[in-house]
Amino acid sequence: MDGSVKVTGTPALELRSVHRVYGFGPSATNALDDVDLTVPSGRFVSLIGPSGCGKSTLLRLVAGLERPDRGEVRVHGVPPAQACAAKMIGLVPQSPALLPWLSVLRNVTLPQKINKGSGKRRERITGFAEHESAQSAPAAPSAPTAPDMRELLVKAGLGEAMHKLPAQISGGMRQRAAIVRAFGLRPDVLVMDEPFSALDEFTRESLQDQLLDLWDELKTTVLFVTHSVSEAVRLSDTVVVMAPHPGRIVDVIDVDLPRPRGDRLFGERRFHEYEDLIRDRLRRAWHGEAA
Amino acid sequence: MTVTDERATMAAENEQPVEPSRFSLRHPQSRVAWIRPSVWAPLLVMTVFLAVLWQWAARELPYLLPPLPKIGSSLTSQFGYYVDNALVTVGEAAGGLAIGFVAAFVLAVLTSELPFLRRAVMPIAVVLNVTPLVAIAPALVVAFGFGPLPKLVIAGLICFFPILINTAAGLGSVPREVLQVYRTMDAGRFELLWHVRIPNALPFLFAALRIVFPLSIVGAVVAEMSASGSTHGLGTAISTASSMNQLPIVYASILVLAVMGVLLLLAVTLVERRVLHWHDSAHN
Ligand SMILES: Nc1ncnc2c1ncn2[C@@H]1O[C@H](COP(=O)(O)OP(=O)(O)O)[C@@H](O)[C@H]1O
Ligand SMILES: [Mg+2]
Repeated sequence: MDGSVKVTGTPALELRSVHRVYGFGPSATNALDDVDLTVPSGRFVSLIGPSGCGKSTLLRLVAGLERPDRGEVRVHGVPPAQACAAKMIGLVPQSPALLPWLSVLRNVTLPQKINKGSGKRRERITGFAEHESAQSAPAAPSAPTAPDMRELLVKAGLGEAMHKLPAQISGGMRQRAAIVRAFGLRPDVLVMDEPFSALDEFTRESLQDQLLDLWDELKTTVLFVTHSVSEAVRLSDTVVVMAPHPGRIVDVIDVDLPRPRGDRLFGERRFHEYEDLIRDRLRRAWHGEAA
Repeated sequence: MTVTDERATMAAENEQPVEPSRFSLRHPQSRVAWIRPSVWAPLLVMTVFLAVLWQWAARELPYLLPPLPKIGSSLTSQFGYYVDNALVTVGEAAGGLAIGFVAAFVLAVLTSELPFLRRAVMPIAVVLNVTPLVAIAPALVVAFGFGPLPKLVIAGLICFFPILINTAAGLGSVPREVLQVYRTMDAGRFELLWHVRIPNALPFLFAALRIVFPLSIVGAVVAEMSASGSTHGLGTAISTASSMNQLPIVYASILVLAVMGVLLLLAVTLVERRVLHWHDSAHN
């Protein structure tokens, strides 16, 4: 499949003139200044930019953890709070954030016990969205069951670790568990904030592959924050380049590379051209700010 | 300000969170290590040394310490007497502990859910926690008489503040990112409390219980001693025997109290090992 997903019906994500300011007076930080972004359903979108450019802020707005000071955020056409209430959003934070007293399996199945009323709310929202777009929105199969979660864990290479506590497995495995937990919600939108930044390079690359496998299978929309250019190009359909002071989007680059993306592709010139392009945009954003 | 930020600052306001303490009994390898003489020999030597010292002092200063054999014979000849009184004291301590525990736990949960309540209660709790509450025992005896009530109240009060402060700290110390994950699932207050906050508070709670179990006995004994009309309990036995110069009974009672303290600590430790197995493995 190529990157040209048709933009039909309600987009998975829509940010319109979003402003977010922290603090007030002279010390106020313009974390996001007039941000517009539309993400069609099923896309893998990366946010990249120097630290402090508002990537995490943007994620928190989408995940309903904060509200914009001005502007509008919509997830499948509804406010994030409503999307959360319908369990349409999966969050993978920078640290795995597993509960240390639960086994890996119970960590990833706990979300099923939480907010059980979400199923109906979700049907209403995604049913509506599907009806509107009239075609193949891959959203919202019924709630996952425990065996499904076992299967997902096995697929993520956590079959052996299923009954271990988080403290008994490696950092990479913990992060995988956090990803499985999020995927287990069958989220319509998966938001990930630098989930691999604390991992070594080998672990990181294998997790990237596994992430793509899971994504390929479950076809959710992904919003992925990274500060690694090659990670962004490897993973994404679209790379959103951001700049700080004030936090804003300076470029949106579609990565037109075939999937599945294997090691061969990463050696090819067109792959590196995308990397160079994004590096160039990042640099320009940086200098534009300095000027 | 976001809810997250608020939580973080509130956690910061929250007095010193008491780190759950380690205790050698909980580490299996330390149990195995006891087989080696190099581990138990020093203790044995020290014990023998102290016993000899005690015997010497008892001979030189008969009004200070009774000879050890007399303590032993008092214990064996009046075994039932000590057991009865020990049960009374333990009953008061356990009753007070139970009341204090329930009250403190409920209040801790309420303060973790209601910021205004936390701001009203916690500073006062911190002050009262460092106040020697046993000092009000005589006043409580005046208020509540010589029955079990003042003993329960003192034991309960002593247990109350450490449990409250530790549990509140534990409920409030869930990592921000964990809260964010469950907030995006729109977890309800009760769900969050049950699945996340309370388990997170358990190590803190047990740290408090280790402090509070022995303290509850202190509370009961002091209350017994303050009530000159009391007829039961080891505290009463000690004050009566002291006034009649019966040192063997005094020290035999103290020995029984010490054994009770150790047994209680052992009980907490055993329960803790079951409940907090994950916590141990998280630290090793
Ligand atoms: N809770 C907050 N309070 C005050 N300032 C904040 C807060 N969160 C973020 N900021 C500020 O907003 C800007 C954007 O932060 P963030 O979204 O974390 O950037 P990024 O994730 O791209 O590094 C930064 O200047 C940061 O200092
Ligand atoms: Mg960030």
